Amino acid sequence: MKIWIIVERSGPELRRVSRELAAKAAEMGEATALEVTGLERYSALPAVAALTEKAKSGAPDLVLVGATPMGRDLGARLAARLEWAYAADCTGVAPEAGAVVVTRGMYADKVRAEVRVGLPAVVTVRANAFALAEGAQPPEVAPVPADPSVDTLAFARFEPTASTGAKVPLAEARVVVSGGRGLRGPENWHLVEELADSLGAGLGASRAVTDAGWRPNEEQVGQTGKSVAPDLYIAVGISGAIQHLAGMTSSRTIVAINRDPDADIFKVCDYGVVADALQFIPAFTAAVKKAKASA
Amino acid sequence: MKLLVCLKQVPDSTVRVKVGADGRSIATDGIAWAISPYDEYALELALEHKDGDPSVTVSAVSVGPARARDALRAALAMGCDDATFVTGAGAEGLGGLATARVLAKVVAEAAPDVVLCGRQASDDDQGFVGPALAEVLGWPHVSTATKLAVAGDALEVWKEVEGGHEVWTAPRPVVLTVQKSEKEPRYPSLPGIMKAKRKEIPEKDAATLAADLSSPAMEVSSLEPPAARGGGKILRDGDTAALAEELVGLLRREAKVL
Repeated sequence: MKIWIIVERSGPELRRVSRELAAKAAEMGEATALEVTGLERYSALPAVAALTEKAKSGAPDLVLVGATPMGRDLGARLAARLEWAYAADCTGVAPEAGAVVVTRGMYADKVRAEVRVGLPAVVTVRANAFALAEGAQPPEVAPVPADPSVDTLAFARFEPTASTGAKVPLAEARVVVSGGRGLRGPENWHLVEELADSLGAGLGASRAVTDAGWRPNEEQVGQTGKSVAPDLYIAVGISGAIQHLAGMTSSRTIVAINRDPDADIFKVCDYGVVADALQFIPAFTAAVKKAKASA
Repeated sequence: MKLLVCLKQVPDSTVRVKVGADGRSIATDGIAWAISPYDEYALELALEHKDGDPSVTVSAVSVGPARARDALRAALAMGCDDATFVTGAGAEGLGGLATARVLAKVVAEAAPDVVLCGRQASDDDQGFVGPALAEVLGWPHVSTATKLAVAGDALEVWKEVEGGHEVWTAPRPVVLTVQKSEKEPRYPSLPGIMKAKRKEIPEKDAATLAADLSSPAMEVSSLEPPAARGGGKILRDGDTAALAEELVGLLRREAKVL
């Protein structure tokens, strides 16, 4: 099987999801990593034009892209242009005769589907879906120059979100600390940030918190937010509405901290602590730091 | 300015989704249906423009089985001017590309300045139809849009990306796929509901729209509920520092995640 991986960078480095896909593709078949170059800001039309042109001669069976904001935009438009099958936000890809069988969440991740996708196809894959061996070498990347002449959109400016505080991107984080209404107000968020820092974690939030404007929307975990599946998910002061649970129950280990012993979040956790978040987190952060220092 | 919102009826977000007897689709008996959440944000984004400028018209369109008419009725109650319903046997179980082609026929007839779709429908969660519709129409698209402003003949569109928003200048016509934004979708008002009840919703038969209804091969072979969880270890009653030490110990030695 001839597989293309369209890589993406975060600064000068390849994104982790791109490296995960390159490693997986190398196991599945003849893998080529490609990068759309020459665009200061990613834009669909110039990227799709360049990749479509290349696909005519290169004829890949499968194009893999990280299910990042860019990947999901590019993947959908590219598949539509090529009139190929398209599966989004997958967590598993297995080759089969003339097809790939992908695993993906449906109904806001309330169910898991196996979908047989005919080839050729474009598939976007979520970060953390495939393991990346320690010290794995990044793939060699071939440039595909974009064709800016076809763009009818023009980038005007960037407006950063005021202090997202996140040092690790939520979607790719191996550890996520999410806060809910149990934090009682944005003025207490430094507690969540300190815990996240001690763990090298990404920051998440419940919908109640983003709707109240305590945290930016991009940190929301669950339906109408992000689905995450890190090794460790820590829910602090989150009661566990079904829409939130859908976005995090695939995490490997779940820790819940809530003062209400009947909170739904305790039904999905591996470890629960019945305690007030404001009192417990500083002690937890201190214990994590102590453990890390002695490691 | 003419705005057209494409919306899909999906199980309400509070529904506990269960796998059906065939193991490949969900059990739909007795479940509540609603406009897909991101499509509601798209409606809100469009209706906001109408609030500020009465010359703006907002239309809604949906492709689906007979029950999906209720979603259009709800969109009218929120304040849409009119709605078009594409239904019939040809509208059921359509693939993404075929749905985009069907919608493109409706768009071509309505000739809007902006088409708005939710960033993804919360049933298949593909996020494909919006960009595919733009592709079939030959229009540009901006995904994960949270805000739209008129800038002379052009438009300014705020696109959510990691760490903030990119503002793009877009020509008309353009397709937007809409992300959740701070502005919560409005509830229908009582007069809105009464008015919506009296409105005709013209119907089109998907099979007669002269759209190619085929899509690339793709088939759900099985659906499963997420792996059952529970039986977690619950720590309580104790000195906070001791509980914290105990939790860290468990995460290290038992779960091996620290």
